[in-house]
Amino acid sequence: MRDTRKTVIALAAVGLLAAGCSDPGAASSGPQTGAAAAWPQETARLDGVTLTIWAAQNSNTVAKQTAEDFGAKTGAKIDIVTVPDPYEQSVQTKVASGDKPDLAFWQPTASQLTAINAKQNLVSLDGAPFIDAYKPALKDVTGILDGTRYAALVTVPAVEGVWYNKEVFAKDGINATPKNLDEMLAAARAIKGKGGTPFYEMGGEKWATQWWVQVQLADAARKGLWDRVNQGQEKFTDPTILGAIKKYKSLVDEGLFNNNITSATFADQGKALLSGEAAMVIQVNTFFSQLQAQSKTDELNAKIGFFPISPSGNVGTFIPDQSNALIAFKTGDAKRESAAKQFLTYWLGSGYSDFVKTTNTVSIEEGVETPATVPSALQANADSIGDSVGSMQVSAIVNPDLYLNLANMLAGQATPEKVAEATQAQFSQLAQAIGAPGF
Amino acid sequence: MKDVITRTAPTPPVSDGVPGETPRRAGAAAGRRAGSRSKPAQPIAFLVPAILVMVVFFIVPSVYNLVYAFTDWSSFKSSINPVGLRNFANIFNNGTLLGDLKVNVIYAVLVAIFQNVFGLALALLLEADTKLNRFARTMFFIPVLLSALAVGYIFQALLKPTGTLNTFLSWMTGADVDYAWLNDTTWTLLWLTVIHAWKWMGLAMLIYLAGLKTISADVLEACRLDGASRWQTFRHVKLPFLAPALTFNVATALLGSMNSFDIVQATTGGGPGQTTEILNIFIYRTFGQGLFAQATTMSLVLVIVISLMAFPTIILLRRRERAL
Repeated sequence: MRDTRKTVIALAAVGLLAAGCSDPGAASSGPQTGAAAAWPQETARLDGVTLTIWAAQNSNTVAKQTAEDFGAKTGAKIDIVTVPDPYEQSVQTKVASGDKPDLAFWQPTASQLTAINAKQNLVSLDGAPFIDAYKPALKDVTGILDGTRYAALVTVPAVEGVWYNKEVFAKDGINATPKNLDEMLAAARAIKGKGGTPFYEMGGEKWATQWWVQVQLADAARKGLWDRVNQGQEKFTDPTILGAIKKYKSLVDEGLFNNNITSATFADQGKALLSGEAAMVIQVNTFFSQLQAQSKTDELNAKIGFFPISPSGNVGTFIPDQSNALIAFKTGDAKRESAAKQFLTYWLGSGYSDFVKTTNTVSIEEGVETPATVPSALQANADSIGDSVGSMQVSAIVNPDLYLNLANMLAGQATPEKVAEATQAQFSQLAQAIGAPGF
Repeated sequence: MKDVITRTAPTPPVSDGVPGETPRRAGAAAGRRAGSRSKPAQPIAFLVPAILVMVVFFIVPSVYNLVYAFTDWSSFKSSINPVGLRNFANIFNNGTLLGDLKVNVIYAVLVAIFQNVFGLALALLLEADTKLNRFARTMFFIPVLLSALAVGYIFQALLKPTGTLNTFLSWMTGADVDYAWLNDTTWTLLWLTVIHAWKWMGLAMLIYLAGLKTISADVLEACRLDGASRWQTFRHVKLPFLAPALTFNVATALLGSMNSFDIVQATTGGGPGQTTEILNIFIYRTFGQGLFAQATTMSLVLVIVISLMAFPTIILLRRRERAL
């Protein structure tokens, strides 16, 4: 009997020691393999090397052609694995349990690079040959955390702004695009007056609800709103952000949005704008990708336009998303880490002009022309990035679930005050977790 | 898998609960006859593999669950430092936890009711051993074997405003039915519990059937000879014999659905407006935010709440068994 007890105690002790009191995601904390200086040649042979790229539902085709071309030139095999939505949560959970790809699509903002623990998990991309090829306006705009570059931008960062149906505008007598928020609301009321639906929101799938609040904060953001929030000097519950939330609610209550606002989905939103059921949608670039999947460039050029908006004028709010950039993981395998860098070098080097052609997208590099077939709305969106300001995701140190709280408000389950309170509470918790001073 | 384990864990030995004092006394006598337990039938070393599995897959994770709740483990940095009770203070100050716990308890109670009503009704309906009944029992058991996520996605498609159910109802009534089953802040929780109960009713049916099989044919024949009606036979004979099965079914349904995640995640993801957000979804969301320690703290709270519900429920039902 006594022996049994001893055995059990010994086993328990061994088990505890074996599991070790450590973070399972922090396995490869050794010196960085593949030093930052060594960037491989674009087409060096990589026979027998397999790279894994994680992508989301809406980004799993972005790299497809480039990966095939790279494989043909170098002998490397590239697996693009679709990680289910919610993508960021799924990836973080996998990485936390020690599962890592070689490359992944990732939102290159400071808050999201913090969330993936870039310093610990990611390969530094400093000194990459493609950095000097970027257009000056885009070179240092994102992908950098504490002075180190961790993400490679492959397409133009998304801009939050207004996608509108040109035919509806013409029919309802709106001849020029609004010059500021008040003009836009005046146009919306005119459209409603003629029996139309001015705005379409996808409250059922929630994530886009935050754009309405963020575009209203563009001017404040330019004046350092997020810096103050980051230091705990200003809160979501203070008049600036709470005011934007209240205004969004009041516009919904006024009836300027679709009737099915609480259940409408991303796909519904696309269909509604394209068919002219709704006149305007505040969205980011993936919204337009959806329209591109449903119709041809000619039709889009005739029907859909884009203008950025803020209370004071046509200022966009930029928010690079997960389909815009890639990160490379420290896997501990020097050969694969080097191959991953080589793939990025090829993609943003000699492979880039083919990439913008096959994906029909705006070029972010000097010397690589944007294809003439890129729809005009997308070009207008890309042009607006020059004088746009950073979104909450870009400028705030952490990224609370503002969208979810707003969706609760649309569903009638929370007041604007409650939304602000819940978001601030979560912001504080996250800020505390990253060790930000003042929280 | 987790669901299955929680379902089978607290299995009370069904035969032990058969009413009547004789078997219990006989059991006790047998225990006494074994007398001094100094010499077990097998070498104690045979326990080692089982204990090893328990330690690695059950005890160690549980201990960690407890330890991590008092640290600042997150995705944001590599070091893990103790922070005392900060996580508990954080989650209790945030109203979401208590709101979700309320939703969770309502969910569990409704599932326990529906699962038992459906299961018992099916068991009584399919009691006789005919060919057709055997086939029907298999059919009703299939949902138990299906992946809960798959069940969730199937129902999500069926219950869409433009889904099959509304199309069918429109055809039946002649009116245009476009009710959003999964987007109603009041009733969606109820529909979800019905789905959950539908998935697991086959298991409840099986256990009730096993209970019904323990009733001796003599007893039922005696009933018939005494002229008992079907209702009387059910109320005064069958139901008391089913008491142990009821204990097991209510306890597993109640506690198993406290641990639910997949069906809700696949159908509503906690919406609309967090009205169906059960605690596991909140835990998943918090973990996904990178706040691993807070998520661990919440799961610890969930374990405590389930324990607090489990003991009184099981004790109450066992006492009831004895009373019958």
